[in-house]
Amino acid sequence: MIRFEDVAKIYGTGATGFEALGGVSFQVRAGEFVAVVGPSGCGKSTLLNILGLLDQPSRGLYALGGREVGTLGDGERSQLRRVKIGFVFQSFNLLPRFSALENVALPMSYAGMGMEERRARAAGLLDRVGLKSKSLQTPLELSGGERQRVSIARALANSPDVILADEPTGNLDSRSSAEILGLIRELHAQGKTVFLVTHDPGIASSAERVLSIKDGRIIEDRRR
Amino acid sequence: MRLWELIRTGLFEIYAHKTRSFLSFLSISIGVAAMLYTFSQVNGMFVQFNKALDLVGHGRLEIERKEDYRSRGLSPGLTYQDALALRRLMPELHMVSPVAQQWSQRFRYGGFSSEEPVLYGVTPEWAKRDWVYTLRGRFINDDDVLFAKRVCVMRMPGGWDEKPWWAVFWEDSKYDDFAAHNDLLDRQITLGDNLFTVVGVIKEPPRDKDPRWFSREWGSPIYIPISTYQKIMRLSNRGGKPDEVREINIDVGRGELVPAYQRRIKAVLLERHRGEEDFKIIDFRDRFQNILKNQRETARQVMAVGIVAILAGGIGIMNVTLATIYSRIKEIGIRRAIGARRRDILLQFLLEAMTLGFFGGIAGIALGYGGIWYLGRRSAETLAALELWHFAATLAIAVGTGFIFSVIPAYQASRLDPVEALRYE
Repeated sequence: MIRFEDVAKIYGTGATGFEALGGVSFQVRAGEFVAVVGPSGCGKSTLLNILGLLDQPSRGLYALGGREVGTLGDGERSQLRRVKIGFVFQSFNLLPRFSALENVALPMSYAGMGMEERRARAAGLLDRVGLKSKSLQTPLELSGGERQRVSIARALANSPDVILADEPTGNLDSRSSAEILGLIRELHAQGKTVFLVTHDPGIASSAERVLSIKDGRIIEDRRR
Repeated sequence: MRLWELIRTGLFEIYAHKTRSFLSFLSISIGVAAMLYTFSQVNGMFVQFNKALDLVGHGRLEIERKEDYRSRGLSPGLTYQDALALRRLMPELHMVSPVAQQWSQRFRYGGFSSEEPVLYGVTPEWAKRDWVYTLRGRFINDDDVLFAKRVCVMRMPGGWDEKPWWAVFWEDSKYDDFAAHNDLLDRQITLGDNLFTVVGVIKEPPRDKDPRWFSREWGSPIYIPISTYQKIMRLSNRGGKPDEVREINIDVGRGELVPAYQRRIKAVLLERHRGEEDFKIIDFRDRFQNILKNQRETARQVMAVGIVAILAGGIGIMNVTLATIYSRIKEIGIRRAIGARRRDILLQFLLEAMTLGFFGGIAGIALGYGGIWYLGRRSAETLAALELWHFAATLAIAVGTGFIFSVIPAYQASRLDPVEALRYE
């Protein structure tokens, strides 16, 4: 499903260049639940950005679903990102002036879905994360845990194969964290491929595979 | 992303930043109003031109003395006899109207006395010329001229229907005030040393409705038979040439005949003036064109102001778009992360700016229409001259301004690196 071969990301050039990711290789099968752990600044986020097609590798090969995608142009990457990948961020990244429903529906509008269909689908997704009653509230009116649930619903908007969660519980209390992790595990159970970036070993332990990264390299690839 | 949703997001943003949006509206709308004003002026000019042409006729000529001509002593100057000769030689002409003019004849009636009125010696044909008056009594007739009768026709000023704003400093002269408020029909007045009977009073149309914008008779005229005029000039011994006239107005009928008659009249007068060309024959259409040229110049200046205002508005829109983008870098990142293409982002900001321009245009049309309506009360045709396409054109200009000035900021927004944008706080 996902194959990285010697993927590197270098910012700047020559002697002043900074190697955020230094030749990473791994493969992930469809439906795997992978935790990416490591200290901050180790290259986790860079890895995730490349995985999510927000960034391009400086070198190496990135194949998604059997297709080389690391070198695609911006338009094609955007399109793939829209349908294949769902992002869940630590700071939620919801649009503050839009209602929960509109936030969830936004990726569908970029996919060209009609208004009615979008509304119905977004409402269904909010129901699935347990926020049916709060669909018309804006993010500012929701609690942290609720916001993260909205953003999970948004990540599912175009039924992606891959969920990329970057410290999804970093800003949440322990109860909300447990709820969110439960939701993510549920997604995994439904067959989504999940990447979960975290620095919390306890959270990492809920994954079936843990990639440990340090200084831009994989130092351990452990399956349970 | 559908168009309507992009516009809706734009409206959202405009509403969320009221002051910023209002300032952009303001400058755009001033520009649009100025544009609209220019359109109405230019159009009004053509309407006025045609109206005036209908009034004076398409075949109008005016023979005048050449002001800077140095006589060789052969020519008697432009005289009443010239007019009579033209009338005799070309009886088919619609009008041959000589006008002689004398300033500062003391007017007296009862206790009132004034040197303001100007004495005009005319023939009955004068009444064929730009007749916009309402007449009480009668005008000078052939008998009056034949027998050099001591009769006169007085002019009553028309005043204003609705006094326009610029006429605040307009003051009627003492004589005009007197003439407007005293009915002198059939009374006897004194002009210089001579007693005249007022046989007619012509009332001008209100100043703001007067279609004779091309030639106003300044001063306050009193019309007498041209023969009487010559007689009192001879008697008064004040020098000057009693036979001389200021102008001869001619109407040849149709516009196509003008060049031919210009040549014929010139030949006749040259012969009568013994080869001295101390006169000029003016085609009225040329005179109109000259006046219109001035108006066009004014319109061009207003247009320049409008363009500057629209430019300022456009720069305002650019500013707003830039500010919007800077305050929404994070949002751009989020949108990119959930699948927006560069094109989607570009389109979104372009449409927001165009929406801003659209509403600025609407506001400008309201402002401009109101302003033109207010200014236009002085002459009915200016406002009537605004056509539907003017509104459409100005609106298009406003929207186009929004488009042009947001291309660069919107392009910049679309080129933002999504990773950087997402990290932006």
